[in-house]
Amino acid sequence: MTDIVIAGYARSPFTPAKKGALARVRPDDLAAQVVRKLVADIGIPSKDIEDLIVGCAFPEGEQGFNIARLIGLMADLDLGVGGVTVNRFCGSSMQSVHMAAGQIALGAGVAFVCAGVESMSRVPMMGFNPMPNPALHEKRPGAYMGMGDTAENVARRWEISRADQEAFAVASHHKAAKAQGEGRLAAEIVPIATKGGTVETDGCIRADASAEGLASLKPAFQQDGSVTAGTSSPLTDGASAVLVCSAGFANRHGLKPLARVASVAVAGCEPEIMGMGPVVASRKALARAGIAADALSVVELNEAFASQALACMRDLGLDEKIVNIDGGAIALGHPLGATGARIVGKAASLLSREGGRFALATQCIGGGQGIATVLERI
Amino acid sequence: MTGIRKVAVIGAGVMGAGIAAHVANAGMPVLLMDIVPEGAAGRNALAEGAIAKLLKTEPAAFMSPRAAKLVETLNVEDHLDRLGEVDWIIEVVIERLDAKQALYKRIDAVRRPGTAVSSNTSTIPLDALVEGMPEAFQRDFLITHFFNPPRYMRLLEIVTGPKTDPALAQTVADFADRKLGKSIVRCKDRPGFIANRLGIFWIQNAIAAADDLDVPVEEADAVMGRPFGIPKTGVFGLVDLVGLDLIPHTTKSLRAALPPEDAFHATYREMPVVTKLIAEGFTGRKGKGGFYRLNRKDGQKTKEAIDLKTGEYRPSAKADLPALKEAKGPRAVLDLKGRAGDYAWKVIGPTLAYAAGLVGEASDEVAAIDEAMRLGYNWKWGPFELTDRIGGAYVAERLAKDGHAVPPILAGLNGQTFYRVENGRRQVLQAEGGYKDVVRPEGVLRLEDIKLSAKPLLKNGSAALWDIGDGVVCFEFISQSNALDEQIMVLLGKTIKLIKDKYKALVVYNEGSNFSVGANLGLALFAANIAAWGEIEKLVSLGQQTYGQLKYAPFPVVSAPAGMALGGGCEILLHSDAVQAHAESYIGLVEAGVGLVPAWGGCKEMLARWQSSPKLPRGPMPAAAKVFETISTATVAKSAEEARDLLFLRESDGITMNRDRLLADAKAKALSLIEGYEAPKPVTVTLPGPAGGVAMRMAAEGFARRGIATKHDLVVAGELASVLSGGEADILDALDEDAILELERDSFMRLVRTEATLDRFESVIETGRPVRN
Repeated sequence: MTDIVIAGYARSPFTPAKKGALARVRPDDLAAQVVRKLVADIGIPSKDIEDLIVGCAFPEGEQGFNIARLIGLMADLDLGVGGVTVNRFCGSSMQSVHMAAGQIALGAGVAFVCAGVESMSRVPMMGFNPMPNPALHEKRPGAYMGMGDTAENVARRWEISRADQEAFAVASHHKAAKAQGEGRLAAEIVPIATKGGTVETDGCIRADASAEGLASLKPAFQQDGSVTAGTSSPLTDGASAVLVCSAGFANRHGLKPLARVASVAVAGCEPEIMGMGPVVASRKALARAGIAADALSVVELNEAFASQALACMRDLGLDEKIVNIDGGAIALGHPLGATGARIVGKAASLLSREGGRFALATQCIGGGQGIATVLERI
Repeated sequence: MTGIRKVAVIGAGVMGAGIAAHVANAGMPVLLMDIVPEGAAGRNALAEGAIAKLLKTEPAAFMSPRAAKLVETLNVEDHLDRLGEVDWIIEVVIERLDAKQALYKRIDAVRRPGTAVSSNTSTIPLDALVEGMPEAFQRDFLITHFFNPPRYMRLLEIVTGPKTDPALAQTVADFADRKLGKSIVRCKDRPGFIANRLGIFWIQNAIAAADDLDVPVEEADAVMGRPFGIPKTGVFGLVDLVGLDLIPHTTKSLRAALPPEDAFHATYREMPVVTKLIAEGFTGRKGKGGFYRLNRKDGQKTKEAIDLKTGEYRPSAKADLPALKEAKGPRAVLDLKGRAGDYAWKVIGPTLAYAAGLVGEASDEVAAIDEAMRLGYNWKWGPFELTDRIGGAYVAERLAKDGHAVPPILAGLNGQTFYRVENGRRQVLQAEGGYKDVVRPEGVLRLEDIKLSAKPLLKNGSAALWDIGDGVVCFEFISQSNALDEQIMVLLGKTIKLIKDKYKALVVYNEGSNFSVGANLGLALFAANIAAWGEIEKLVSLGQQTYGQLKYAPFPVVSAPAGMALGGGCEILLHSDAVQAHAESYIGLVEAGVGLVPAWGGCKEMLARWQSSPKLPRGPMPAAAKVFETISTATVAKSAEEARDLLFLRESDGITMNRDRLLADAKAKALSLIEGYEAPKPVTVTLPGPAGGVAMRMAAEGFARRGIATKHDLVVAGELASVLSGGEADILDALDEDAILELERDSFMRLVRTEATLDRFESVIETGRPVRN
């Protein structure tokens, strides 16, 4: 089969919803700047791109229409490049990568820009008109369960203590702050032009996060619960993009691929513990790649909540030292549709930076799913 | 000067910042300046800090976040020249003559000629303040004495000097009256003016008498409060509220300024207990506590009070005075045998005498002194009104018996009263003898004045209808607490018929402390206890029909709330063509608190308003969700301005700052709507149906898991969700008003039959608060 590679990665700064520096930026404007810069930096003619695949969890309002096509037009991609919007909630832009990989394998194109975007400032979670199906809600209330409640369920069932969650969150902030301080994040960030000036740094990271500070917070979702705002990923604005292409395409254009896509998988799980989705999806993907978890050198495991991240690490037997080396979503933020492309791009970059052979990027998905991508060093 | 469009306040202490905030509440830009403190982070730190603190103060100093943006925080070192921009400069700096005079010189160098300059001094005479200042400055100078907190206290004492330009003083007074909503009392240039001079006299006297007669503070407050029309804080509670440290300070300056023969000196006494409390930081509610405190020990909260003899705290006990409860009126309290009666007289007698002595001294007007105490100390009756209630002869005789001097105006009463009604006009005794009409400021219209001479057009036990001229009639609630009941609906029905025949417009207005706190829960509970469900449902329907008739009547309806307008009191506003609200209106649909849903069209009107609001995204959910959020949490707007944000008021509705001008403004609004009046067109709304109901219930369940909503809150929220989502409606249906009214009625009836809702009724009736069940 044709080798499929990740040959470029870029993202916007991630900033807190409503009060962050990107709150007043339209999501299509935001994503278009990232896509334009990615394509320009890679230096390929945009007409060689088959399709622009954009993940978005709440594709309505300013994220509505077919935002992928509009982003392509805004970024001045060649008119011959297609545009499709995909929604698998938090897994949306990892799904973009999977779709591209599938198309390449099928021989339906050789180069795809796989992007993701979410303005959680401008389009609320659940959308403007949440209208759950009453019959399904009756039959399976978990289908619409709030994410915080699923995190509490995981904390209870997997017995993840509040102190452990807080220690994990503090570590995430400290890793991210260190990476930021050492300039390791700046390389992936596209400065975004806004009416209020250029924005080029992440806004959610708290270098001064402490266990004592977090311990003082009230539970955010359940009075007797253990999950707080401090151990949850913040509402975030952001966009991200990767170039997925065949190894041949990369060769022809003299690109330096970051990693090869070794395998992909999605899987469903109980909606009430959606945070455990990465376990089932990762197991499938690892099996498809023919490796065990101990073969991994780099893992990007999305931190929707500290409780589910810890439970997944435990069940998958992951060494914490290789998980989220530059910090995770609790510190960086989690713009739903944009996270998948970020962690695929990040895992690929880390593999090339840190060494080792295999990397895993995986995340949980509301409604009870997981998605996973295994990457291999070239 | 032509008018006031911008104001500066110098001095960002509690009073200065509060005054600046209130000027901003009037929609006026205001500069707030203070000195540059040594070692502070920023040069405007004092003003900035004061505003930041005000934004957290309860009750709120600002009426809206918009108002806070109108205050510009500056300092007198860098920005004094900006005083050239303003039309009125209010000085609120430290009470030291030299400091004030030095500041005036600096102000005078930069202000535009003709800019009004006033001092908020509470004790320094105007004469002294302007000594040595140029003539032009003296012409533009006056004293404007605000009361704390400036947003809420309606009194403004104004003192002018012999050289003050009367036109300029009038411009400031008009601005304070119409824009700031203050009632102006003109005072002579005497120490302490009126309210504090008499008020401090009374406080001092009350503390000393309690000490003399061994009256516990709880008993003193029980006697000195409600029975005399004085707030229930009485005297010790009041001192805790304003701050113990303020009293010796004001007393000291008053004693220094008043001549030795003034009776003020006789009541003065050093109180070691008070001195000790202040020294130890017990300065009242702002400090660690005062005469009362909440002692939080071992996780328990106990109310404690000071023993005046020992100066130590002891557990507080409610005054046990059955005789006081039985006593009808202030005179009966003064006649009580024993400690309570003795104490009452020992405080009230000399206070009324001192007030009588102030006529010709602090003001020539009996009515002005009464007004100052009503508005500056929240007394229900001023001292002369109180004297009339007790009996002038009684007061004079008892004073004489005590060997107390009887002031001439009291001695000369000869069986007359200070106030009388003559030919439908309220008149007041003049210092030189004879009576004159009590004159309202120009443009003020009060229903109580109209009622002196008029007969109601219609009346029953709960409401009355008055002709207020020019074809406009005024519908007044007169039930207990202005609670809404069947009688009110019946009279509203009759009113609508009468206006169709004979009049042009309706104003719904009253002069109670609250417009209406909603339906009469006592009656509803009674009906529920005898299972008269049919009667309850009939009343719900009657209210829906009546408010509907009001909305579609062929004449304009203007409602004019002040104070609380809750539940059914809010719903009548929602069905009016226009609202003219007093700025201090607290509007909300609070039915959920007592376990109900609004069922006199409140849900329907709020849905229609939010669905046509450009502030929300399109689709069937946003309006329903917004109304759900507002009603399920029983949100009450903390000002008329805030009520606009919640759409209880519309942009076209008016806000009146001065309570006394509300009726006139409402009437003017009604008159302006008469020509070419057309009743509104019925509306339809598109609602999300069962899907929306599920979404709203899910939100409520989230609140319950967080411990914010109780078990019964969830039941109520579930019913509210059904109403606001349109029941079984499909998103392709347009629901008319009747369909939503039916949903309101059905949900209401289901809820009123639940035990938990009735438990809430009962606790509200008994304790004023719904039980959290």
